[in-house]
Amino acid sequence: MASRIGGCRRPLLLLFLLSLASQTAFSWKQDEFRNCNQTPFCKRARSRKPGYCTLIADQVSISDGLLTAKLIPRPIPNQEEGGEDHHQIAKPLLLSVSIYQSGILRLKIDEDPALDPPKTRFQVPEVVVSEFDETMLWLSRVSTETLDGDSAPSSVVYLSDGYEAVLRHDPFELYVREKSSKSRLVSLNSHQLFDFEELRVKNEGEEWEERFKGHTDTRPYGPQSISFDVSFYDAEFVYGLPEHATSLALKPTKGPGVEYSEPYRLFNLDVFEYLHESPFGLYGSIPLMIAHGKTGKSSGFFWLNSAEMQIDVLAEGWNADSGLSLPSDQKRIDTLWMSEAGIVDAFFFAGLGPKDVVSQYTAVTGKPAMPQHFATAYHQCRWNYRDEEDVENVDAKFDEHDIPYDVLWLDIEHTDGKRYMTWDSVMFPHPEEMQKKLAAKGRRMVTIVDPHIKRDDNYYIHKEAAEKGYYVKDSSGKDFDGWCWPGSSSYLDVLSPEVRMWFSDKFGFDSYKGSTPSLYIWNDMNEPSVFNGPEISMPRDALHFGGVEHRELHNAYGYFYHMATSNGLVKRGDGKDRPFVLSRAFFAGTQRFGSVWTGDNTADWDHLRASVPMILTLGLSGISFSGADVGGFFGNPEPELLVRWYQLGAFYPFFRAHAHQDTKRREPWLFGERNTKLIRQAIHVRYMLLPYFYTVFRESNTTGLPVMRPLWMEFPSDDATFSNDEAFMVGSSLLVQGIYTERAKHVSVYLPGDELWYDLLSGAPYKGSQTHKLVALEDRIPAFQKAGTIIPRKDRYRRSSTQMVNDPYTLVIALNSSQAAEGELYIDDGKSFEFMQGAYIHRRFVFSNGKLTSLDLTPNNKKSKFTSQTVIERIILLGHSPGPKNALIKPGDGKVEVGLGPLVLETGLGSSSSFVTIRKPSLPVDKDWTVELV
Amino acid sequence: MKVAFFLSIAILSLLASWSSSSPSLSFLGIAPQDENYFRKETIKCRNGSRKFTKAQLNDDFCDCLDGTDEPGTSACPEGKFYCRNVGHLPTSLYSSMVNDGICDCCDGSDEYDGKVKCRNTCWEAGKKARDKLQKLIDMYREGVTIRKREVEQAKEAISKDKAELSVLKAEEKSLDKLVNQLKVRKEQIEKAEGKEQLEKDNEDRPNVQENFESTEASGKEDSLTSEDDVIGLVEQEESKSEHEDTNVAEDGSESIEDMSKEEIGRLVASRWTGERTGQVEETGSGADSNEGKDGSLNKPSDGDSEKNVYDHHQSSITDDLDSSSVVHEPGLDKQTQFLGFTIHIQSWLRKMQDVSQNLLRSVSWFSSPLDNLDADKIRKEYKESTARLSSAQERISSLTEKLKHDLGVDGEFYTLYGQCFETKQDKYVYKICPFKEAVQEEGQYHKTQLGYWEKFEESYSAMLFSNGAGCWNGPRRSIKVKLRCGLKTELTDVDEPSRCEYLAVLSTPLGCLDGKLKELEGKLEMLQKEKPEGHDEL
Repeated sequence: MASRIGGCRRPLLLLFLLSLASQTAFSWKQDEFRNCNQTPFCKRARSRKPGYCTLIADQVSISDGLLTAKLIPRPIPNQEEGGEDHHQIAKPLLLSVSIYQSGILRLKIDEDPALDPPKTRFQVPEVVVSEFDETMLWLSRVSTETLDGDSAPSSVVYLSDGYEAVLRHDPFELYVREKSSKSRLVSLNSHQLFDFEELRVKNEGEEWEERFKGHTDTRPYGPQSISFDVSFYDAEFVYGLPEHATSLALKPTKGPGVEYSEPYRLFNLDVFEYLHESPFGLYGSIPLMIAHGKTGKSSGFFWLNSAEMQIDVLAEGWNADSGLSLPSDQKRIDTLWMSEAGIVDAFFFAGLGPKDVVSQYTAVTGKPAMPQHFATAYHQCRWNYRDEEDVENVDAKFDEHDIPYDVLWLDIEHTDGKRYMTWDSVMFPHPEEMQKKLAAKGRRMVTIVDPHIKRDDNYYIHKEAAEKGYYVKDSSGKDFDGWCWPGSSSYLDVLSPEVRMWFSDKFGFDSYKGSTPSLYIWNDMNEPSVFNGPEISMPRDALHFGGVEHRELHNAYGYFYHMATSNGLVKRGDGKDRPFVLSRAFFAGTQRFGSVWTGDNTADWDHLRASVPMILTLGLSGISFSGADVGGFFGNPEPELLVRWYQLGAFYPFFRAHAHQDTKRREPWLFGERNTKLIRQAIHVRYMLLPYFYTVFRESNTTGLPVMRPLWMEFPSDDATFSNDEAFMVGSSLLVQGIYTERAKHVSVYLPGDELWYDLLSGAPYKGSQTHKLVALEDRIPAFQKAGTIIPRKDRYRRSSTQMVNDPYTLVIALNSSQAAEGELYIDDGKSFEFMQGAYIHRRFVFSNGKLTSLDLTPNNKKSKFTSQTVIERIILLGHSPGPKNALIKPGDGKVEVGLGPLVLETGLGSSSSFVTIRKPSLPVDKDWTVELV
Repeated sequence: MKVAFFLSIAILSLLASWSSSSPSLSFLGIAPQDENYFRKETIKCRNGSRKFTKAQLNDDFCDCLDGTDEPGTSACPEGKFYCRNVGHLPTSLYSSMVNDGICDCCDGSDEYDGKVKCRNTCWEAGKKARDKLQKLIDMYREGVTIRKREVEQAKEAISKDKAELSVLKAEEKSLDKLVNQLKVRKEQIEKAEGKEQLEKDNEDRPNVQENFESTEASGKEDSLTSEDDVIGLVEQEESKSEHEDTNVAEDGSESIEDMSKEEIGRLVASRWTGERTGQVEETGSGADSNEGKDGSLNKPSDGDSEKNVYDHHQSSITDDLDSSSVVHEPGLDKQTQFLGFTIHIQSWLRKMQDVSQNLLRSVSWFSSPLDNLDADKIRKEYKESTARLSSAQERISSLTEKLKHDLGVDGEFYTLYGQCFETKQDKYVYKICPFKEAVQEEGQYHKTQLGYWEKFEESYSAMLFSNGAGCWNGPRRSIKVKLRCGLKTELTDVDEPSRCEYLAVLSTPLGCLDGKLKELEGKLEMLQKEKPEGHDEL
């Protein structure tokens, strides 16, 4: 309480000025972070002209199932050097192309280890999953053809049934093309911007150091950057490259008609009060780009590299004067990729549709983990719930107001002086008892554990880590010492498997005192955030396990920390409890370890709006379990904004309210009766849809598809959806449109496809392929169920999702034009890994010809089984004309009543319309049956 | 009493057995007084939307959106479940709590599906509640009596103040007149004296005595105000310099480069926390030492009350970590002083008026040479009267200030005027002065304004102080002080539920309202009625 009195005690006029100054002085400062011009490798690469690269592929052959070649400089006939800017490689580079099942091509280019480079270049370990390696196709055959106008041949290998890969020898170029039409899909080095700075010995008098804002980067290995161009064909838009607060369809950053813009930067940074529209890099990085066009086909490109990366999306006509000829009949988007270090380890995804590309990408980096059921419900967070009494009061108030919630979160102040995995003994003297009280109501707790370790010899984690040498080292080899919440701190070197192993053991109940089985974890500041470091992060010349420089690893540091934490929770539960770990930093593959949120957003309408493209982009990049802080982290939302945020957030995959410590309290009941009711209804909608959400989470877990999807993923041929990032799909049955303006009277929503859409709560039908101008209602944002789908719900609200386990289901069948519909329901124990042995219920519901059938989708050979006594209590048919009085159930020949009933069991939320309802069929959810309307 | 109690129990249990003593399953969750509503074959949803059959009552399927048909199940989200809780108070639960595996009703009736077994704890809980309630009622009874006494005293004091005010105003008028007359006379005399001075060179100057209590008092006031001004100025300059420092530290990158690694770390951390750090902190500590000066400046003017505070601290430290105490404002001492003075001035005034009138009359206006004795007398009278006049005016303004406040429906809060209440929590001392201000003190010199008096809220059950010191990136501080019934007036439980919005509780007999007492007594009566058979409380 009042711990920061010193900050503001003069009740004077000048305080106003002071606060003005603090607004400007403390908000996001562009000049604190490097732009491309201040980043030599970026500046160099960005200024190059097409045709710069003079490499050719030499000694092309098949070996060990790979297509291999050496990249060498093209012999220059008249002995002249290229322009002075032209950098020539000194030693041949090794190139290999490998092909994997389902149309994935992997390209690697590195220095030849046989030629003794000064250092092994870093390859990011443990991102590509081992199952992926097993899907490699053994190449045995390469065909050769000479393309029109080429003097040298090209080598062609099989990629998939529809696609093949072409390696053009001179000039060096690699692309994927359709077998039949020969039209290109995606290509690399078509504009000959490829460059690879080989490691070398420093020339005399050469200056390798770089300085920025008083920080010096010693750069002991000198320049080592890589850059190249990638082109996507038949593409209208490119997407991906999280994390930026920007539109879903990536705007061009360079070329005709583009105002000066930075490239999209991928460099994990803790940015204070980030802007809602900027190509500036935020907390996480995934170098994945997906292109999509009117053909309905998508392609993808992923560069596995964890060094700083900058990517330009080039506007049409950027290369008007290059003189290079590319297929002109295909609409193309060119991009330029630049990285400070590492190797080329790139994946080309020749997807058919958008879902295939995401599926291919997650075949490489792993499918999203199946979350525990509770984690898909509502989370209540604040910096900070002050003490045990505060926790108890907040918990009690939820019950008092009949608002469900599943998890209460504790931010950094719960610790003893920001020593993570300890408790403030005054504020939280009985942590176990506190968690048990919550657990008695089926609720969990989450505490924060950050990677900076307070340098205090009396702190057990520091003591051990220091003794064992488990910290990241500075360039001189001493433990790196930076400043973060606890003051002077060191950072665990989580690149080392040994350190991760050791750290994960710290989550054991015997080690983490005061933790109980209902406690889960939140990783913050893992970019890593270093308050006194360059760009608020770690110096690039800091050293990790195996002599790896921080510059090479930076974007994956948070990933490895998240991994160690997640594995710690698995170990803690003897492999029987799925972990829940929320992380702010992320990298390719993070989806295997937990969820992510979009960091420190702000309580304004722009940030509400920006949350949708941010979450959609994360979903396209494998991270399906993500969300934005409901209400906005900084600042105080007006009640209307808060309500709208709850209404939108209820459809985020990860649904958590959070607030900065300087903000006013904003628990749902603090804004008057009306707003309390509105927030309760928003949360109720989420709880009602939990069975559907959990089913979609399982789909994501098996296929890699996002939970929250862009419209074009479900309607890939409808180009009206391509740049729509204000509406989104949840799974394939539900479309949601946010309301992003204050006192909105109307809201426009585009409904794609030819079928009808039914208002989720009122049941009103709307035509597809149209933009509808709807009256903006106070109590909901527009949400629609697609005709032809069946959504499973639970219509009884409880304190938390835990008490809903045995509650009966409602099925909402939205009939399409042929009076048919289909949907799925997935159920498991909600917590263990038994589902991986087959212990789950997975039903497909098919409605046609007036008959609903429940089919079993579980495999026959499962090792474990899951059963449930739960029944279906209600079946609602949207788009069915009234008339049927009864329904016959088989097996058993039972007869139940059919009548008219409401769509939603909450006054005010639904409408007065009634729909054909099968009353109390009491169908067992885990059995085969049919229900026929008569 | 005892007999009557048993009798009422007997009648009640008779009534209970007359109706159904334990609800049948279909009547589950229905309050006894509502049972008749459900006795028909066709029942209406309470919101009139539709009808349902008796078979649909509590059949675990929601037919009425308002939950009418499912009072005993969880089927309707808007349903309410009535627990009889015999031995304790009946309650009404949200349907979401029915059969959710958590025992909510003390009689356990909300969990009947066999998944959990709930013990009936109504009798124990009821007894506890009754005992607690009884204690509360006892306190309320005593508190209400004290409150009545205080209200009477306040009324009396207010009318006394008002009477005094009107007397003072009348006297101000006549004093004003007298002073003017004396002034004219004095000037005449001085003019004449000037003339005489020319003639008589070796005339001694008259000796003037300035030893009036009242003059002293007003002098004190003056010096106080001027010191306040000085403090204000110092503060203004401080925050100005802080402001500039922040700018310097934040803007030029050069200054960041000049900072140590630790300073940079602190500075960046401060963006999130709003804490002042590094260079800025130095300014902060500078401000502290200035405040130290402030403290010492204040000391001579109200040293007594400072001592008072100190003594209280001593005792509070020995008491407990959290303790509370009453402090009299310096103004109060002055007030008592004035009260005596007012009585004095009245008799003095009458005498003085007589004397002066006589004097004015007796002195021959144009006689020369002047009677020295008369001249001195006039001067002395003038001086005294002026002093008296300004004291009276001062008193008038302080009484007007006091009486202009909203002192409650019966003026009951008169007694809090001029008082301060303190409590210590951790390292902070919270000090609430009704009608004035609320501050938080850390150590001797570190003082934070939590707010200035604004008004009573929630029909005189809370006091609001607002517009206190501003918060980093946030609102100005404010504090709400809730009044709670207590036999002594003391401050308890200061809290900061939202950042910079404080909440405190002042327990005071003024919070013991008769209406609330009646309500509590009614509640206790209810509790005692619900006594089940087989238990004997008495």
